[in-house]
Amino acid sequence: MATEVIPTDASKLKSVAQIAEGTAYKPLPQKAEDGYVTAHAIQTIAADPQTLYTLWRNVEAFPRWQEYVVSVKELGAGKSHWVMGNPEDKDGTRVEFDSQIERDTPGERIGWKSVTKGVEQEGVVTFVPAENGRGTIVTLIQKQRVPGGAVGNAVAAVAKRGPKQIVIEDLRHFKEMVEAGEIPSVAGQPHGPRGVTGSVKEWMLGETNPTPPGSSEQR
Amino acid sequence: MKAVCWMGTHSIEVHDVKDPEIINPQDAIIRITKTAICGSDIHLYDGYIPTMEAGDILGHEFMGIVEEVGSEVKKLKRGDRVVIPFTIACGNCFFCKDNLWSLCDNSNPNAHVAETMYGYSGSALFGYSHIYGGYAGGQAQYARVPFADVGPIKIENDLSDESVLFLSDIYPTGFMGAQNCNISPGDNVAVWGCGPVGLFAIASAYMLGAGKVFAIDRFPERLKLARECGATTIDYSDDDVIIVEALRDLTGGVGPDCCIDAVGMEAHSSTLVGVYDKVKQALMLETDRPFVLRQAFMAIRKGGTLSIPGVYGGVLDKLNFGAAFGKGIHMAMGQTHMHNYLAPLLKSIEDKKIDPTFMISHRIGIQQAPEFYKKWQEKEAGMTKIVIDPWQDTIANPVVRVMERHSA
Repeated sequence: MATEVIPTDASKLKSVAQIAEGTAYKPLPQKAEDGYVTAHAIQTIAADPQTLYTLWRNVEAFPRWQEYVVSVKELGAGKSHWVMGNPEDKDGTRVEFDSQIERDTPGERIGWKSVTKGVEQEGVVTFVPAENGRGTIVTLIQKQRVPGGAVGNAVAAVAKRGPKQIVIEDLRHFKEMVEAGEIPSVAGQPHGPRGVTGSVKEWMLGETNPTPPGSSEQR
Repeated sequence: MKAVCWMGTHSIEVHDVKDPEIINPQDAIIRITKTAICGSDIHLYDGYIPTMEAGDILGHEFMGIVEEVGSEVKKLKRGDRVVIPFTIACGNCFFCKDNLWSLCDNSNPNAHVAETMYGYSGSALFGYSHIYGGYAGGQAQYARVPFADVGPIKIENDLSDESVLFLSDIYPTGFMGAQNCNISPGDNVAVWGCGPVGLFAIASAYMLGAGKVFAIDRFPERLKLARECGATTIDYSDDDVIIVEALRDLTGGVGPDCCIDAVGMEAHSSTLVGVYDKVKQALMLETDRPFVLRQAFMAIRKGGTLSIPGVYGGVLDKLNFGAAFGKGIHMAMGQTHMHNYLAPLLKSIEDKKIDPTFMISHRIGIQQAPEFYKKWQEKEAGMTKIVIDPWQDTIANPVVRVMERHSA
């Protein structure tokens, strides 16, 4: 798998995030080819880059805000062990793999890649100060193998979302945790009888995906 | 607890459901003392707002007593009496900080649904479909309120529930509707729709310095209340009335400086175009019946401002956008930025500048809600605003008599 598909070159990503004057817009990588999907999400988050970098670099806290992460163990030297699956379904499918942080620039970017044979995913997140004073422009790019199955794409193997939507929801939940101190949820609230159509709609709207707990400790 | 549930188009049922619980640390649980049916609930009843699910608890106008608070709630405590704004806002995002509370980034768990339909998601709302978050509503005995330190306003006076209940939506919505049309002292203002939001828009327009307010509706009781607010009324069901002409005649041939659409997506019209819209909407060929917008585009004066507090949901048809462009009008719209208005409008009630109870026509118990959704949708005579006591099953005589109401 060619690492070059994701532009891990910092200068390229920064030029997109900062929309440099007098330059042509160059789309972020977003394509599906050869069994891989590259997707991105971008959010302006009301916090400084160093704070956001520190939160993201704390890989053991990922289950608090990222969907379908059961646990993460830091193994040292940028390596970590991930258990993916639905945390609310104790008997559900679990996919385990090791991930290695390959590029780690404090306050600016983190790039990672799975190092377990058969699991093919890699990603990069960058933190660029927003010039309008609204915080930090956070860009998340992930390349994943599709279709996943138990091997290949560890996230898609357990999540009820498309590979592009997973990236969008992951960054959204990160932003919600940082800005609001919690991740909005209606899981477990009362309702009348859903019936068949109500239940189908719930599933279609993605409401059966478990919401990560979030944490106000982050504020 | 008992809750009013949407079970499908034109199907409302009261069910016994489990009590709400704290889900997130900034949640509060409210024991609801009074709640109301909103005109915009009729859009749900009629099935025109997409992404409702059978079993959804309705209601976004409610108030009550704080029963329980989450671990991160600092300002509210058990026993506090509060009114809940219908929009849910985190208080910390760019939009909240900019006082655009109904556009909060972080309150909608289903933001991706709104992004698919609208590009970006606004804030979540209580009891108003899953595109707006799917939060259980307040036509129930209890409700869970997220971001409890940000939204609810404490009521620390002895005003009755009914005096302050409408701070939850319709008074701020009518007020923002008037504020959004940039009224200069002496301006002529036309208001389409004399339902609760229209009535509050009329009253608010005068508070903001309007010269004359013209109010358009077809129901005698609504037109009467509009006149009591000081408006000159126009009954569009009168065969001799042509709205655009009426407004031209009443404004010295100029047209109203400000127009307020307090009707929204389910406008009625007796004309052929009105029938065309109804058929298309029934066939799902258009989602909204934009009859008021068409009239307002024609009636508004050149360079005037059109404010739209009425709810629109989707795709509009046969809208003469050329008229809006050709006359260089301004437009402002959207869900109400509730949190800006709670404190000042509460003060206006405390200072007796307005008594919001004037529009209440019916008081009902929770088991009467299905019957009254039907009556409200059919605009049964004399029905102007329905308040629900969720702790009573039925109220034997639900009618609040109009004459008695005003002799007090």
